[in-house]
Amino acid sequence: MALAGTALLTGCATPPAATDREALAEFRANNDPLEPFNRQMFAVHQVVDRAVLRPATVAYQVLPLPVRNSVRNVLNNLRTPVVLVNDMLQGQPVRGGDTLGRFVINSTLGVGGLFDVAESRFGVPVHYEDFGQTLATFGVGEGPFLFFPLLGPSNSRDLAGYGFDIAAQPLTWVGQGLAVSVLGGVRAGATILDTRDYYFNTIDEVNRTSLDPYATLRSGYRQARANAIANRDATGTRSLP
Amino acid sequence: MFAPLLTRRGLGLLALALALPALPRGAAAQMDTGRAIAFIRAAGDELVAAINQPGLSAAARQERVAAVLRRTVDIEGVGRFVLGRFWRVAAPTEQQEYLRLFEASLIRNLAGRFGEYQGVRFSLGRTQSRTEDDALVSTVVQRPGQTAFNLDWRVGDVGGHPRIVDLIAEGTSLRLTQRSEYASVVQRGSGQVSALLVAMRAQTGR
Repeated sequence: MALAGTALLTGCATPPAATDREALAEFRANNDPLEPFNRQMFAVHQVVDRAVLRPATVAYQVLPLPVRNSVRNVLNNLRTPVVLVNDMLQGQPVRGGDTLGRFVINSTLGVGGLFDVAESRFGVPVHYEDFGQTLATFGVGEGPFLFFPLLGPSNSRDLAGYGFDIAAQPLTWVGQGLAVSVLGGVRAGATILDTRDYYFNTIDEVNRTSLDPYATLRSGYRQARANAIANRDATGTRSLP
Repeated sequence: MFAPLLTRRGLGLLALALALPALPRGAAAQMDTGRAIAFIRAAGDELVAAINQPGLSAAARQERVAAVLRRTVDIEGVGRFVLGRFWRVAAPTEQQEYLRLFEASLIRNLAGRFGEYQGVRFSLGRTQSRTEDDALVSTVVQRPGQTAFNLDWRVGDVGGHPRIVDLIAEGTSLRLTQRSEYASVVQRGSGQVSALLVAMRAQTGR
């Protein structure tokens, strides 16, 4: 909310004149009325990424791939309740069954989620769902595009969905005290590293080849989300909770 | 031809149609899926052979990949699509220089990307579909030790030959993304195509 308020204060993009129809159509299609604010946030993100996120991810990549895969598997397994809730809210009981079955198999045969036995032995691959996608299936529009440092590209619908997913995550509500806080922090940190690792080559390539990385990420995010909402994706876009 | 668009969906579509001078309209013989699949199978085999040939330096491998891409991609059509509505406002000399720089940048970026895919395998995906002008061939890209991803190849008919007109990785279209990128550069350069050319020259070193 505070960020949204700042966004309004620091300025909206000026729409092109109504006489320039093509420019106006493009402005609307970009869905980015807060572009000046978003670009500032993107600049902050790039600095943090270069100074901290990317180097930390390079250090993380010293771990062999099977280890990193196990980290990803555990995180996916912990995310199961959120995916399941959204599968069901979207009226997709078959996908919900996949999600639940994967949780049972991977938590037991997969040794607490370390190994994705559900995919390797039973042929049921992971998929992601989040409340932003669920809202979209309810017909909620995406709202203005947003970019936040660390969180990356989003929009007002997906941001609201992000809040819902945090609330839907049982781990949010489990226990209290130092140990729980530390574990929660470890999970959050691992999620950020794993996500940055997953997109490592893509992000490097955008930064290397794009004449305007912000515009590229904005377009790419919106296309990938549309694809994930239609469940045309192999795994879905990844979100943090 | 635009009248039905006007009545049915309003001005937005008309603007869109006008903004897409590069859609394979004149050259649009239809592309049936069988022909598109055979074409992508052959192009994919050539790419895999170039990428996985043992004993090549990275530069030599990229050059071989680039040669395959120059033969199989409708570079001019993609380039015009990507420049979108600014193609018409560009002077003829700007158009020429743009296409030259676009080819250099597209080939370099794609060859660089494919060149890194050692051990790659393309397998035909589940869905193959067709639109009015072109066909979409879905493949899954598998590399050792990497997460597999979906790559769709949009194949159009260009002067009687099948040609790749777009690549769609996990739902993200190369030409749509790049059009957004270039439009942004032009707009931030006061609406001048020359601003884009300056940036492209700097990037390609030409």
